[in-house]
Amino acid sequence: MIFGVDVASMILGGVAAGMVLFIVSVGLSVTMGLMGFVNLAHGAFAMLGGYVIVLSMNYWGVPFLPALAFGFVVTAAVSVVFERTLYARLYRAAELEQVLFTIGLVFMTIASVTLLIGPENQQLRLPAMLQGQVNLGFTQYRTYSVFLIATGIIIVLGLWLGFERTRIGAQIRATVDNRRMAESLGINVNRLFTLTFAFGSGMAALGGGLGAEFLGLDPQYALKYLVYFLIVVAVGGLGRVTGVFYAALLIGVLDFVLKKYIPKGGTLFIYGLTILLLLWRPQGLFAGKST
Amino acid sequence: MTACLLETNALGRSFGALAAVSGVEFRLDAGARHALIGPNGAGKTTFINLLSGVLQPTLGRVVLKGRDITGIPEARRVKLGIARTFQINRLFRGLTVLENVYIAVSERVGAAADMFRPAGARGDVIREAMHLLAMLKLEDDAGRRVSELPYGRQRLVEIAVALGLKPEVLLLDEPAAGVPSAESHIILDAVGRLSKDIGVLIIEHDMDVVFRFAERITVMVGGRIFAEGTPKEIAADPEIRAVYLGQHSHV
Amino acid sequence: MIAPALNPALHPAALAFAGRHQPRVWEPIVWILALVFYFAFPNHLGFGTELLITILFALSLDLVLGYAGIVTLGHAAFFGVGAYTVGMLAYHGFWNEPISSLMLAAIVAALVGLGSGLVLLRTQGLTLLMLSLCTMALLEEAANLGHEYTGGFDGLASLPIPKLLGLFEFNPLYPRTQYVYVLTVLFISFLFIRTVVYSPFGQSLTGIRENTLRMHAVGSPVRARLVTCYTISAAIAGIAGGLWAQANAYVNLTTLGLDRAAMVLIVLILGGCGRMYGAFVGAVAYMVLAHFLAKLYPTAWQLGLGFLLVVIALFARNGILGIGEALLRRFRAKRMPR
Repeated sequence: MIFGVDVASMILGGVAAGMVLFIVSVGLSVTMGLMGFVNLAHGAFAMLGGYVIVLSMNYWGVPFLPALAFGFVVTAAVSVVFERTLYARLYRAAELEQVLFTIGLVFMTIASVTLLIGPENQQLRLPAMLQGQVNLGFTQYRTYSVFLIATGIIIVLGLWLGFERTRIGAQIRATVDNRRMAESLGINVNRLFTLTFAFGSGMAALGGGLGAEFLGLDPQYALKYLVYFLIVVAVGGLGRVTGVFYAALLIGVLDFVLKKYIPKGGTLFIYGLTILLLLWRPQGLFAGKST
Repeated sequence: MTACLLETNALGRSFGALAAVSGVEFRLDAGARHALIGPNGAGKTTFINLLSGVLQPTLGRVVLKGRDITGIPEARRVKLGIARTFQINRLFRGLTVLENVYIAVSERVGAAADMFRPAGARGDVIREAMHLLAMLKLEDDAGRRVSELPYGRQRLVEIAVALGLKPEVLLLDEPAAGVPSAESHIILDAVGRLSKDIGVLIIEHDMDVVFRFAERITVMVGGRIFAEGTPKEIAADPEIRAVYLGQHSHV
Repeated sequence: MIAPALNPALHPAALAFAGRHQPRVWEPIVWILALVFYFAFPNHLGFGTELLITILFALSLDLVLGYAGIVTLGHAAFFGVGAYTVGMLAYHGFWNEPISSLMLAAIVAALVGLGSGLVLLRTQGLTLLMLSLCTMALLEEAANLGHEYTGGFDGLASLPIPKLLGLFEFNPLYPRTQYVYVLTVLFISFLFIRTVVYSPFGQSLTGIRENTLRMHAVGSPVRARLVTCYTISAAIAGIAGGLWAQANAYVNLTTLGLDRAAMVLIVLILGGCGRMYGAFVGAVAYMVLAHFLAKLYPTAWQLGLGFLLVVIALFARNGILGIGEALLRRFRAKRMPR
């Protein structure tokens, strides 16, 4: 049974990482699906949020949960400013311009953070209640991982309900499926995008803060994990909450398991798998479903 | 009886539960001047898309000169002699008018895969492209970018590109759509002067044009062929007047 | 008979088109400047060699991005394949004659381009972007893991590169041979690319860039054209990578990373894509700035580079050459009498 417990705890670790991937990537998926905007700067917003959360805890002694909320709000507010003044000019532009613009933003973010805060890694100090191990009945497991999984489940349920049951959610779904139709139905697509962009960036900030414990937090963060976020979105499908959720879990668990068993070839395998998945279903593995 | 050029048997196309085109039996004769009319949403453009291979039918066959071409993709149908224009311009907007037509002609004569000779050295292709432009009175715009031209002139380029393919079957999807009536006669004159070797199928809303141009008219309603006949027969049919012509008289 | 004056084939637009591939008066200046550099800056030939290689790499990208309109984030994959081909063959003692090694680099990169192009170019938009990124990441990871053959993270150093044609030594301290060698390869490659760009094939690539759907409707085998273009471009990028390995006598992971892919994209866009000489202008502007700023203030350089990208994307989509063209047009319009 030792083996069974081992596998279970490994999968739990992967699921916890997958939850963070999901929280960061879901905003990217929705905004890309909604406006067709290739936003390579999404990781920069996650990093910004991570810094706000970790620094406010370390310097001002803000408790963990209020710091998360603070990071969400600050990042969402900053993203609205960017969206209205800069992003909005490029909605009709070609992908290439969007790629250049957002890479430019990433470079500027990395450089500014290095200049203002420094190139070193920022430590997230977990509150005492989230440290240590917790007894799950069949095994002892890290409290923080369990907390991440619980948080992830609450968020995916909340988003799913929001998508299925609220007016805004219905408008987003309609616009992802057929933008022109949605516009002709009187949906204010620009306002919708500002809202989802802010919310998506806020979520990315949460993910940046929650994941800082094991992903680290330094100025290179914005570029380092970008490929992972993009893979999750590409595999999960654009504008799909549940698709991104499954994709994030899949990638998170695979990454964790593969790194344990084939520490060398794990990443190689994930890239290869992504290529095969995208060739098999260019719209994403989980794009068939409506949300 | 003239030779049958293009025909369809029980041709149908559904989008989900919606049958955009169904059970269409249609024939286009060699050298025909054939108009396809019908109210908006009748399936006319879908039908043209099925003939040109932009869409695959869910049912039925498309036959060109006795050969079943149903499964053949768009680009290869062009080689077999079917060319079309689009209801909304699909041009190479950043390129000059001459380049637009050059691309079409060079694809037809098989020059386009050549990567070691300058495009300018293909005098035959340039000459043919310029003659087409002269025929459509576009030669003075030859060096201008398509995006700089007024919309009416762009519609002419749309036709020039299709003619550069020397088709036997030419499908014109509302060639004068969106053009002010003062300019539309230039386009329709050009269509009227097309060589008699080409079988032309035109979708058009202007009934004056249809009755002046067409020798045969097919009326499509709700994805099906509602009636077909000479302009006289169509004009005399009270049912058609009620269903279609009457509906449009106020436009 | 049509009178010559009325013959549309003699219309000025037709004549201009027929002669558009003829060399412009100013074109030799570029190459003269490259030669002048050799004599004027004997102490900066290492920098000059790097610059020329960057130009060649950007030219290869111009073919796919500027002419065929394929947006790729993974072009460094082919640069890296070329570099590792030269590096691994030389390091493991199989083959190191410079010119034939370079040809092998081109062939291997072309094969990788053909293989990946056949699958990648079935897709478009975001999927294509992602696939090109993943392919490059895959190769990078493979190079990282194949430690035995590729040297892993450290790469392969001190490659034994013999004398060019048995006469000219590749001296890492005084890279005169490297400079002239790279300049020659660049010139030959440029002539080839120029021929392709002005050919009917090149014209059909611009058609695909401007309107893929219409290209299908004029009977063009679009996919085959794109794959051909992608393969040619990969071969040229492979040559650039091979040159890099020979000139530096080492290879490492930086040859096929996202940094290099982003750099070449920036160089090309900065100069202006779809213009051939954009690669030259962009490489000079970028490399000179990088040379002076990046070493002194690396962080400020990154900040400035980011700012530059944002400005280009928002205001100057055709790069430096595009700005020049616009100014020239305005100047001419002013001089012309109404």
